[in-house]
Amino acid sequence: MAEARYYDIRHVSGQVTHIDIDNGVIESAGTSFFDKAVVRALGETGWGVIAIDNFSGRSQAVIETVLQDALRLARATEEKVSLADAPSRILPVPAPALDPRDVSLEEKQAMLAGIEAAAKVPGVTSTRGRYTEEINSVRFEDASGHEYTYEITRCGFSVLAVARKGGFLQMGRESEHTIRGLNLAHREEMGRTAGERAVALLDAATVRGGTMDAVLDPELAGVFAHEAIGHASEGDIIKEGGSVIGGRIGEQIGNAVLTIVDDPTMPEFGFEPVDAEGVAVARTEIIKNGVLTSFLHNRETLAAVGGGAAGHARGVAGDPPIVRMSNTFIENGDATADEVIEACGTGILLRGSRGGQVDPGRGVFQFNAEYGYLVRDGELRDLVRDVSLTGEILATLHTIELCADDRRMHQGFCGKSGQSVPVSDGSPHVLLRSAVVGGHGAA
Amino acid sequence: MVTVQLEIAPLVDAILRAGEKAADEVEVYYAESRSVGVDLKRTIIGEAHETRARGIMIRTVADGHIGTSSTDDPARWQACLDAALASGRLATAQEWHGLPGPARLPGEVPVFDPAVVPGVEAARRLAADLLLGAAEHDAGVIGGSASLSLSESVLANSSGVYYTRQKTGVGASLEAIRGTSTGYEFDRSCFLDIDAVDIGRSAAFLACHSANGKDVATGSFAVILSPVALAQLIGHVVVPALSGRNVHAGRSWLAGKIGEQCMGEVLSLYDDPHTRGLGSTLWDAEGMPARRIDFVEHGVLCGFAYDLKTAYRYGEESTASAVRSGPGGSPGIGMHNLVVDGPRGTVDEERAIWVHDLVGAHTANPVTGDFSVELSNPSWKEGGAFGEPIRSAMLAGNLFDMLAAIEVLGEVPRIIGTVILPPVRFNNQQIIGK
Repeated sequence: MAEARYYDIRHVSGQVTHIDIDNGVIESAGTSFFDKAVVRALGETGWGVIAIDNFSGRSQAVIETVLQDALRLARATEEKVSLADAPSRILPVPAPALDPRDVSLEEKQAMLAGIEAAAKVPGVTSTRGRYTEEINSVRFEDASGHEYTYEITRCGFSVLAVARKGGFLQMGRESEHTIRGLNLAHREEMGRTAGERAVALLDAATVRGGTMDAVLDPELAGVFAHEAIGHASEGDIIKEGGSVIGGRIGEQIGNAVLTIVDDPTMPEFGFEPVDAEGVAVARTEIIKNGVLTSFLHNRETLAAVGGGAAGHARGVAGDPPIVRMSNTFIENGDATADEVIEACGTGILLRGSRGGQVDPGRGVFQFNAEYGYLVRDGELRDLVRDVSLTGEILATLHTIELCADDRRMHQGFCGKSGQSVPVSDGSPHVLLRSAVVGGHGAA
Repeated sequence: MVTVQLEIAPLVDAILRAGEKAADEVEVYYAESRSVGVDLKRTIIGEAHETRARGIMIRTVADGHIGTSSTDDPARWQACLDAALASGRLATAQEWHGLPGPARLPGEVPVFDPAVVPGVEAARRLAADLLLGAAEHDAGVIGGSASLSLSESVLANSSGVYYTRQKTGVGASLEAIRGTSTGYEFDRSCFLDIDAVDIGRSAAFLACHSANGKDVATGSFAVILSPVALAQLIGHVVVPALSGRNVHAGRSWLAGKIGEQCMGEVLSLYDDPHTRGLGSTLWDAEGMPARRIDFVEHGVLCGFAYDLKTAYRYGEESTASAVRSGPGGSPGIGMHNLVVDGPRGTVDEERAIWVHDLVGAHTANPVTGDFSVELSNPSWKEGGAFGEPIRSAMLAGNLFDMLAAIEVLGEVPRIIGTVILPPVRFNNQQIIGK
């Protein structure tokens, strides 16, 4: 059997702990275990990939057999895959302030119960609190002799409140996830915020959809950066011809106030000490002052497309690495948030996020705010609910006219090719002229 | 297989015996699967992959305390059992009247096709068919995938249930592009009956047809949602609203409305675990004999979905609606094959905006049903034929309001995940144009 041109093995084992408190009842709580590896081999043409579980303690002979199986699969491929050279090194994983393993599940449950109970403000009829904690022990090795091991713990919680008036329901939700250690202590205000928002939304109007000027808060503008430009800049999508920004490196595709960055080195929820191909991670400026500067790459897409840097391959346990975002954000401008709202004049302020989606080939994105306020004469007026925003990537990036100086990051999970990875998105308040806002009301 | 083949029955038996010593009742779910597939990068195969997976899920019940844990290392079952028992000690105790015993479950459900043999050659043939179909239209191919899978599972408990199942799966998808117009199609089946040529053809047709779309003005129009588009909204909004857990927790818009006319008279919703679909089964995830459950009959709400845990807690009856949706694959309430049914008619005779897919359907408000989403491949349709494509538009509305005012259900149902549904026509929907 021929030798592999390249191979790598990424073995991830660990455990997932959860607590689910529903209206004061501990519905379920506990720990599950996983142990998975992905073995990739590059034959004469493309990749053979084998995902296998229960990998710990496998003998060298077994690993060799799996490698040969991967190579046999690779013979079915037709694409001649090349890998770009890329620097390889690992960063230290930031130490958690409080390791969740040093706190008992009973204590975590009591803290979560406090947050969940705080959501039960007058008017709220249903509450739910959820905690998750995932410990990953990662071991990577490749044909070039690179070997890395590290451990990373991600944890966080969400609290949901539902308020009712007659047969009318509304919800409020708050969440925070982190790599910096247990974050449950003294967070009752998050529960209260979720509860109060659910109640306030009972009296909110729905907005009549149409074109208007819009201010996005840091959370929603972060999702905008993620959906409107982040996905479209992923090297695998560029390589297959599925992105409207393919071939546009060096072009002014956005307003000069706009700089958008993906940075896996930031100690945020999307942090990676080394990428899933053993490549050193680094800050990548996708757009600088409105000019498309870099795509996000793995070694294969860098070799095929160019324009940018490798180090953006990520994979969940048991799935092959693909090009992903990590911590994606719009850089601060020099206005204040108040100045951004004042510059909006008459329009809408959108806050919070219920997620979004993009079709990068068509260049169209959609995302949804949790709530918002109508803006008249530069001042916030009526509370509105169920507002979304759509746009075309290439047109919308030019319409961001103003960025404030108050960037904040928010955590979430991003789905692609069936894999859900932890990410963070962030931005200062930004002003979008002539945004297409969706809603089905009369306000 | 390089994995060490374990004797499953003795393993399951050992877990049950050890568990019974420490808890009142024990349930073990074991699953093993192998899937092989290829990925198209544009029009050539760039990657071939194989996944070999196993898992054990253990649930224990002691004095009404329910605990769960899972592992993909069968050799660590004792640690997994200990974790399940520890999990139970933390959970709030509840009313509990026992796991089900074995039942006579006659017949078989259509989930196994001996013709489905996971292998790279079979996957390549499917990929070739995708490309054959795509070549019928003048569009480029971005990528695609084809895969075949075989899984075996055992569900056993300390009351004597020991059910085994073999299940096969075939899936294929293709994404095409013309200019900046994209088209995506897919299909998935337990049988080797998917038409990969047609998937490729449809994706390429969508990309071509939607090129050079015209703007539409904001206003009120008749809209036809394809099964792909409507299944997403139903999955995000209606399925959670039918969950007995959400109903009793005060998170369902349908709570307290049993016997009321909640939806249009033409509409019936039921879970049929015995029909042909991706979730077909004779027993649910807790070993309860699965049966048809009517949720909505001619628009009138008549029931909710319950698993044992929720049913015991609230004095209801389990509807055998447990699926493996909980943490670590533990049982939770879900759907096997949710059928959207009713009198059929023609959806596209009179002029309407036809919608293939939605961008951002998951951002719908699951509690209220409000949503506003971008449309994928919207096009005018009239006289049963595609008319002028629409470049870009949003649809904003409330799914419960829409289901109350359904105009007509189309003829041909399609299986989308665990929902089986036809295209549906809605009149007077709010479209936000450009």
